[in-house]
Amino acid sequence: MTSGDGLGALGSIVTEPGGGSQKTLTDGSRIAVIGAGPAGSFFSYFLLKMADTMALDLTVDVYEPRQFCERGPAGCNHCGGIVSESLVQRLATEGIALPDDVVQRGIESYTLHMDVGDVEIATPVEERRIAAIYRGNGPRNSEPLDTHSFDGYLQQLASQRGANLIRRMVTDVVDEGDRMRVQCVDGSSEVYELVALASGVNSRLEADVEERSRQFKRPERTKTFICEFKLGREVIRETLGPSMHVFLLDIPRLEFAALIPKGDYATLCLLGDDIDEALLDQFFDSPEVKNCFPGGEIPMHVCHCSPRINLSSAKPPFADRMVMIGDCGTTRLFKDGIGAAYRTAKAAARTAIFHGVSAEDFEAHYWPLCRKMDADNRIGKLVFGVGTLVQRSRFARRGVLRMTTLEQQQSTRQRRMSEVLWDLFSGSAPYREVLLRTLHPVYIKDLVWNLVAGNTGRADKPQDAVGSEGEKRHDTP
Amino acid sequence: MTPPDGSNCGGNEQRFWTHAQQLEKLPPCQAECPNSGDVRGWLGIIAQRQKHGLSLAQAYDRAWEELAQRNPFPATIGRICPHPCESRCTRSDKDGAVSINALERFLGDWGIDRELSLPRIEGPRNTESIGVIGSGPAGLSFAYQMARRGYTVTIYERQIQPGGMLRDVIPDYRLPRKVLDAEIERLFELGIAVIRGVELGKDITLAELRERHDILFLGLGAHGARQLGIPGESGPGVMAGINYLRRRKLGMNCGLGDHVVVIGGGNTAIDAARSARREGASVTVLYRRTRAEMPAAAHEVDDAIIEGVDFTFRSVPTSVLRKDAAVTGIEYHCKRAGETGEPMRMAADAIIVAISQEPDWQEPDLSSDGHKWLHTEEDGRLANDLWAGGDDRGPGIASRSVAQGRFAAEAAHAQLRGEPRPQPAPQPVGAGKVKVDYYEEQERGETRRRPRDEWLGQPDLEIDLTISSEQACQEAARCMSCGLCFDCHQCVMYCNAGGYSALEDTAPGRYFDLTLELCEGCGKCIELCPCGYLEAREESPPRMD
Repeated sequence: MTSGDGLGALGSIVTEPGGGSQKTLTDGSRIAVIGAGPAGSFFSYFLLKMADTMALDLTVDVYEPRQFCERGPAGCNHCGGIVSESLVQRLATEGIALPDDVVQRGIESYTLHMDVGDVEIATPVEERRIAAIYRGNGPRNSEPLDTHSFDGYLQQLASQRGANLIRRMVTDVVDEGDRMRVQCVDGSSEVYELVALASGVNSRLEADVEERSRQFKRPERTKTFICEFKLGREVIRETLGPSMHVFLLDIPRLEFAALIPKGDYATLCLLGDDIDEALLDQFFDSPEVKNCFPGGEIPMHVCHCSPRINLSSAKPPFADRMVMIGDCGTTRLFKDGIGAAYRTAKAAARTAIFHGVSAEDFEAHYWPLCRKMDADNRIGKLVFGVGTLVQRSRFARRGVLRMTTLEQQQSTRQRRMSEVLWDLFSGSAPYREVLLRTLHPVYIKDLVWNLVAGNTGRADKPQDAVGSEGEKRHDTP
Repeated sequence: MTPPDGSNCGGNEQRFWTHAQQLEKLPPCQAECPNSGDVRGWLGIIAQRQKHGLSLAQAYDRAWEELAQRNPFPATIGRICPHPCESRCTRSDKDGAVSINALERFLGDWGIDRELSLPRIEGPRNTESIGVIGSGPAGLSFAYQMARRGYTVTIYERQIQPGGMLRDVIPDYRLPRKVLDAEIERLFELGIAVIRGVELGKDITLAELRERHDILFLGLGAHGARQLGIPGESGPGVMAGINYLRRRKLGMNCGLGDHVVVIGGGNTAIDAARSARREGASVTVLYRRTRAEMPAAAHEVDDAIIEGVDFTFRSVPTSVLRKDAAVTGIEYHCKRAGETGEPMRMAADAIIVAISQEPDWQEPDLSSDGHKWLHTEEDGRLANDLWAGGDDRGPGIASRSVAQGRFAAEAAHAQLRGEPRPQPAPQPVGAGKVKVDYYEEQERGETRRRPRDEWLGQPDLEIDLTISSEQACQEAARCMSCGLCFDCHQCVMYCNAGGYSALEDTAPGRYFDLTLELCEGCGKCIELCPCGYLEAREESPPRMD
């Protein structure tokens, strides 16, 4: 790997007054996309699609050394693998329909597990479904049956649009003034008019870019824990059903825990403040968790890792002839990373095609989206903070359980708590919307009443909250 | 950390946390090479030259030097070796084995053209006197390994020219003389003395030589031809394969006649048949088993067929037919299905018997125990001062002789210096540990050859040509570096914990450091590592808290 002048020019984002962009894509322009995860593939797809409408002839090279058709960590792109319903719908309007062999299971409800009881929250609007997917081609040792990679599918979409997939590892991006040089591990290099960095926060490339640049800061990250259990399709249908299981447990530093069914497997995702072994021990020891597994015993998982996720955004997520998209640019806090990849990729592509590829162009037309997401993430932190308070307080947990259970039993009633929880877990709505709903007077009134009632054992208590035992589970709602 | 539920893991903690280690393995090419040639090593120098700031010429020079550490005649072996190294090359499963033999030849020729000197091993001069009997591949290899370690070496050769079987028997169309001359001359530049025309047992005794030298190495070869033991075998018109080849190499007219029958299925039989074709005779090879069972290298048999050599399989000669002493044909028994069992006859003007060789030394001290072959310890030791290697220990390919000479020299040197014996090789790369799919497909580069219609027309010209430099680079880049890091960057790029760091000072095989304390035990790097260099540790490492 070469060091030296790398991306020293990254900081030159001083806005020059007046006029259109000095740096635009023209016929024959070459664009490098580094990383073929969702952000890279969406970007390539939209860039080529928009170029078509402008009758612009571009060459797009997508660098991705890994093969998502591989099973286990080699093909994995580490995440929980949830595509929110809003994204599924938006993709459908773009003409991108996720094939059945990519969707491991449509998620139709959330089940909330707390020490004070469990409650199942059905999807708020009938058609809303969430897609559980594998980013790679399934966990370690999985049988090559019907799992297909989500990232592989998007990659294929980009290739069909005309992107060239280059299976080489990029080790450096060097600013050569009027063009960017992309250097590969085999010593080869190519020059481009634009580089879209879509290498996520789990590759070292962005760290190397940051190290060499004085003014670019990559996103801050935190450690998560993800593992896969092989339970078998039948057992999953009986114990977990088409439901995503969320745990609100009073465990220090644990922000969020979810168990997501996918074919023969279930993916466990833990988010929090530096998930470590002590936290894992405590989590696996909780009866609420054990009860989700057959016989109340947690089997050995088939693979696990501790991928990092964003706590903040890249600052700034662009430079001259360079734009950071997906996680390595800006994403939503804890949730809906694929949706954020889609939005940033599309906005970056639009800027590059219709405005230009200078730092000023990205600042004017791409950065606003990123800043909007950042602002919402700040609200998200607050909302998650409140969530944590609920998690920590048995008093509050009782109230939440009571309110949600009653809502779920009475179909006529507006499900204020259910909707808040649903949007919070699924990442379907901006955090701002979630917050606003919790400030609604009726919500507050209901919550206060339920807090009181839930903690004083009133007579109109809900009949039998949904238990965690298999026999209490009803099939597809 | 303990697993989530101790009762479920039955003490099998490995499945939960998989901590990585960097561990070099033995690649299949090296495992199959009789001389344990570090093929991956010298290919890596070429393939990874840019990472080390080497020009192409510098890379070739270094690769040659690396190759010559174990084999002082790469241009020679690169031509004649049946290259078992390629037989289990991991590339075979994908798009054809790496053309290791052609690359060895290319580097060998490069070394000759550049007049590169064989690499010495730095150290003080050693005063012990070393004697070597026989200058075939085993003797020369032993002499080389001792001379480069600073010993005074004297070779005794019964012929005038050194080289043993390499010079006397292997036909020019496979190994041009000037190539062998160049490689032997370069070897003698290390200061090796050669006493020519001296035969053990006739001109000098074993006892005398043991008296004269601290260490004596026997590279006597197996120059005696075995006979069929059938009626009519002795007399004019029947000759042994190696004797025929020897005479032909000396340019003597052998007067074979129009039709020649060659008996045997080894490399000597094929060399003899193809040489006889070059004299204009029609040639039939009679072999007692099937084509698949022939010990000769398959590609040599293919070439013989191209040149018009006929083969009759499953046929056992029973007598040589003669009329007035002159050979008229051969009678043989055919074991093929449907044959009556009646003896069959084939007309022939000459018969070449190339069934096997055996030692022919005249030294009574060596043959007194009735053994035909020398029985040494594995490293070649007969006694503390007496070592042996090559065909005198049993027939084998030239590369095995070079190996036995080297192993004996290394062991003898360790004995003289009181040093520990050479380290055993690392464990082989496990089956399926190299992720073949990771590597880009790239067709095997085939050796260029002269047009077929020229083969017999210019009988002494080499058929195979040396590959181009461009081909050599491409071919070196096809090496998957089984079992040793080649800087693919996957571990350093995708470790969530940042456990790998790039080294400042890199060398082929050494690119990254693993800080074990940072390892989070997900095992991803092991599954990503395409060459099988990373693997799971048995023990969990200490944690950094």
